[in-house]
Amino acid sequence: MEKYFLDYDWTVMAPELIILAAAALLSVIDLLLKEGGNRRLLGWISLAAVIGAGVVAAQQLGDPAYEILSDTYRVDDFARVFKLILLAGTGLILLGSFREMDREGKEARGEYIYLLLAALLGGMMLTSSADLITLFVGLELLSLASYILAGIRRKRTDSNEAAWKYVVMGGVSSAFILYGMSFVYGLTGTTNLYTAQQRLFEAYNSGYEPFVLLSLFLMLLGFAFKAASAPFHMWAPDVYQGAATPVTSFLAVVSKAAAFSLILRVLLGTYLFLLQAGPWQELVAPALLVIAAASMVIGNTAALRQTRTKRMMAYSSVAHAGYMLVPLAAVAGAMLFESTIYYLIAYLFMTLGAFTVLMVVERETGNEHLASFAGLSRRSPLAAAAMTVFLVSLAGIPITAGFFGKFYILIHAVTAREFWIAAVMLVTTVVSYFYYFGVIRMMYFRPPSDGKKVPIPAGAAVVILISLAGTLLLGFLPQWTLDFLGQMDWMSTLSPVRDTLGQ
Amino acid sequence: MTYTENYLSVVGFILVGLALPAAALTVGRLLRPYQPSGPKAMAYESGVLDPTGDSRVQFHVRYYLFALLFVIFDVEAVFLYPWAVAYDALRADVGLFILAEMGIFVFFLVIGLVYAWKKRVLEWT
Repeated sequence: MEKYFLDYDWTVMAPELIILAAAALLSVIDLLLKEGGNRRLLGWISLAAVIGAGVVAAQQLGDPAYEILSDTYRVDDFARVFKLILLAGTGLILLGSFREMDREGKEARGEYIYLLLAALLGGMMLTSSADLITLFVGLELLSLASYILAGIRRKRTDSNEAAWKYVVMGGVSSAFILYGMSFVYGLTGTTNLYTAQQRLFEAYNSGYEPFVLLSLFLMLLGFAFKAASAPFHMWAPDVYQGAATPVTSFLAVVSKAAAFSLILRVLLGTYLFLLQAGPWQELVAPALLVIAAASMVIGNTAALRQTRTKRMMAYSSVAHAGYMLVPLAAVAGAMLFESTIYYLIAYLFMTLGAFTVLMVVERETGNEHLASFAGLSRRSPLAAAAMTVFLVSLAGIPITAGFFGKFYILIHAVTAREFWIAAVMLVTTVVSYFYYFGVIRMMYFRPPSDGKKVPIPAGAAVVILISLAGTLLLGFLPQWTLDFLGQMDWMSTLSPVRDTLGQ
Repeated sequence: MTYTENYLSVVGFILVGLALPAAALTVGRLLRPYQPSGPKAMAYESGVLDPTGDSRVQFHVRYYLFALLFVIFDVEAVFLYPWAVAYDALRADVGLFILAEMGIFVFFLVIGLVYAWKKRVLEWT
């Protein structure tokens, strides 16, 4: 019997539907409100929607995997955990940027909020897709909204430059992904990720090896671009610098998390058979490791030379993308999902915290040059102390979230006997100390240019405190998060769900 | 048939593609009367009176906004048409939900239109 739309359990899509409804509602309200009027209401509604969606998604954790819409949309623990990360990131960004967007884009405050929600929706679709087309629609929803967000400071040249570069480079990378997908469809006649895995295996065994690998590498190239990992990272510094700071933190955290869910889902959902067939160890893992190593080396060395903190954070985020690729390459070790996601959560807190402090400083001094941080310890002791914790965590020093994140990844590399990547990771981590500590030196050992206090808006203060708590908690008690992640049903990510109606 | 032999049909396509315009132009030359005059000899381009000169003509940027807006209705029509044709069958099958579904779709497009309206895209000056 055919299954109809209404037969499916639509409640599994509740988080997406909440965000969709909120985005639609907000765009209507924004049009009805007086131009130039107060848009604070929109911010609160969006925050409520994100929290509501997060609560619903959290309650679904642990439920069995479920596929709807002819197996194109898949809600499993993998998707739910990633959705929680995306929602947490967006929620914190919204909360921290209420005041900021009043100042940044007077004419586009409403747009900022509902484009952020639209991008979030795209990211959530991405994590839940079990079909190449759904996946691409989600990816484009995320990308298109991000392009506009990057250029939302319309009157600023660097913002326009950022948006323009992002559109062109993003379009090229989407084209690569599509080209790779076309090979998958050509070889298998299906767009379903899991059906494609079985048929790709048959195709692989009947002499189409080069095409199977070609499809994988074309898509991997596009994904590496979206995750801003070297050598496909060239857009990141310019875009991160030109975009408004809340948008930059969205790109650095939420976009990157979504890109990683994409990489994990496609590589493990569709190409896992390469692990048994052999080329994973010969080709895929080395390729991933080379991307990871290049990201660490290029990201960490280029960051040394930056005098603008946003550019520095952009290169630092390139380096972190490199760290996070290691567990996937060394897939032989267990706990692949746990360590990648642990690092993502740690990365979320420390990066968002650092960007929020940056935003507060930028707001006061008018620019984001490294020199703006001079004497911050005297102008705002709280912000300086919090920033120190975030930077120490980003550098990966015990007892912070970043340390355990790197530690677990290092264990992966060693278990898989990829000692050279472990060495690259250790050396580049030491290199990264120089620029992270450069900011700390600025804050504590350089005299401030003026003695003015740096006021911290309430929303930003809450975000800084939450990030601080998260960074320290993950550092002191890593076992909590690991236990929580260990309870998830990760193996369901690897296999298709059948008989979704439970006949 | 091996993999490379599949490309024979591509070669065939290329040959037909080359032959077709040549044949059409030759047959046309044989059939048509030949009485040239001034206006006939002028280059033709729809909507442009004298299409000679610099090819870098600047269009007003508002044309692009209208073109984008047109896409809203274009896409709407593309989806509405097959839906309307299949409506009875779908109604019998799925019920009134099929109407609600299209309502949701049109609603989202209307938001786009209202947005453009409020942002004064529809005004020329």
